[in-house]
Amino acid sequence: MSVEAITRNFRQKVCDQVRVEAEGVDRYHVFTPFLFEDGDHLVIILKHDNDKWILSDEGHTFMHLTYDLDEKDLRSGGRQKIISNALSAFSVEDRKGELILPINNNQYGDALYSYIQALLKISDVSYLSRERVRTTFMDDVREFVEEKIPKDRIQVEWHDPTHDPDSRYTADYMIDTPTGPLLIYALANDDRVREATINLLMFEKWGLKFRSIGIFEDQEEINRKTLAKFSDVCEKQFSNFGGNKDRLLKYVQESGGMATG
Amino acid sequence: MTIMTIQLTDEKIGSLLDEKKLLPEDFFSPQKLKTKHGHKEYEINITGENGSNFRLIFRQSNLNPLDFSVILVYLPKGSNQQFRLRRYNGKSHEHGNHIEKNKFYGFHIHTATERYQQSGYREDTYAEETDRYADSHGAIECMLQDCGFYVSMKNHSLSQWGMN
Repeated sequence: MSVEAITRNFRQKVCDQVRVEAEGVDRYHVFTPFLFEDGDHLVIILKHDNDKWILSDEGHTFMHLTYDLDEKDLRSGGRQKIISNALSAFSVEDRKGELILPINNNQYGDALYSYIQALLKISDVSYLSRERVRTTFMDDVREFVEEKIPKDRIQVEWHDPTHDPDSRYTADYMIDTPTGPLLIYALANDDRVREATINLLMFEKWGLKFRSIGIFEDQEEINRKTLAKFSDVCEKQFSNFGGNKDRLLKYVQESGGMATG
Repeated sequence: MTIMTIQLTDEKIGSLLDEKKLLPEDFFSPQKLKTKHGHKEYEINITGENGSNFRLIFRQSNLNPLDFSVILVYLPKGSNQQFRLRRYNGKSHEHGNHIEKNKFYGFHIHTATERYQQSGYREDTYAEETDRYADSHGAIECMLQDCGFYVSMKNHSLSQWGMN
C-alpha cells in the first residue's frame, strides 16, 4: 500500500468518523470514534455557555466510571491523581462532575483533541478496578467472629505480652475461654499457613496453654508439606469456611467460647 | 489475596437472569436519589429465590435526562466482583460492538455474553439498539420484565420514582 493510500486510510478512519449534529438550542453532539472499553463512545457536547462555546461531557465520564468504581474511589489515591493530572495537562475543568473545556480563539479542533485526550486518560482508571477483585474470605471470617463471639471475649491480632511485647508472633483472633485462650487462624494461602505454623510452635516453646483452630479458605490449594507441618501443631482444622460455619460454631461453643448460634 | 475475575457461560447468565427476584414493595415509593459528582444514583441489593445475590443500580446525568443507565449486577459469593448481567442505557452516546463491527446511536441494552468475555472484553460489551423505552422509567420497566423480577402487590407504578 502506498503512503498516499495509507494516509487516506488514516484520514478515513479518524476524520470521517467525526461529525457534529444539532441537538437542542446552541447544543451540538460531537460524534467521534473514541470509546470506553465497553464499546460506548465518549460523550462530547459542544454548547454555548455564558457567552462562550465549551466542550462538555454533561457528567457522563464520571458516571460511566461509577459502573465499576465507588464514586468516592475517584476522589482518592492513585485514581484521583490520574484524573487530576489529566485535567491539569489538558486544561479541562471539573465543574461539579461535568468536565468542560472552553474553546479559546476559535481553536475548535485543538480543543477537541485536548478534550478527547483528557477523557481517554480519565477513562483509563476503570482498568485499575479489575485489579481489585479479591476473595472476601478474610472479611467473611472477621464478620463471623464479630457476630458470634461477645466483644469482650475477643482480641484481634493477639500476641503474648510477656514473651512477645513487640507483637511478632500473633494469632488472627484470640477468644478468652474459661479453659484458656482459643486461637483462630484464617488461612488463605501457603504464606499464611507457614506463618501460623511458626507462631504456634513459638507459643508451644514458651509453654503457653492454648487451643487452636485453623480455618482454610480452600485446604486443597495448600502445599502438601506446608499443610503437613501445620497439621502437627494445630489442634482443629476446617478445610473451608463456607461449608463449615455450623461445625466451627459448635466447636467454639464446646471449647467454652460463649459463641451465640 | 487476589483472584481471577469470574467468567460465566451464556447458560449461567441466562439462568441468573431468569432467577426469580422479589422486589421490595417500597421500591415503588418515591425514591430519593443520591446526588453524586454530576449525576444521581440509586442502588438496591436483592437476593434471588436460588440464593444468588444481585444489585440493581440506577444512574442518571444531572444535565441530560436521556443519559441514564439501569444496571443489573450479579454479586458472586466469596468475591467482591460485580458482574454486569444487563445494562439499559439511554440515548446519549454511540455504541459500537467490537465483534459484530456495527455501530448505532440510540437507546440500547447491554447484555453479558460468553463470547465477549472469552475475547477479553468486559462481560456486557455487547449491546443492541432498542425502541422498547424512551426514558429512564421505561428502561426500569423493561429490566423488571426481562430479568425475573416480580412484586407481591398488584398495583404499582414508577410514575413517582426518582422524583427528587
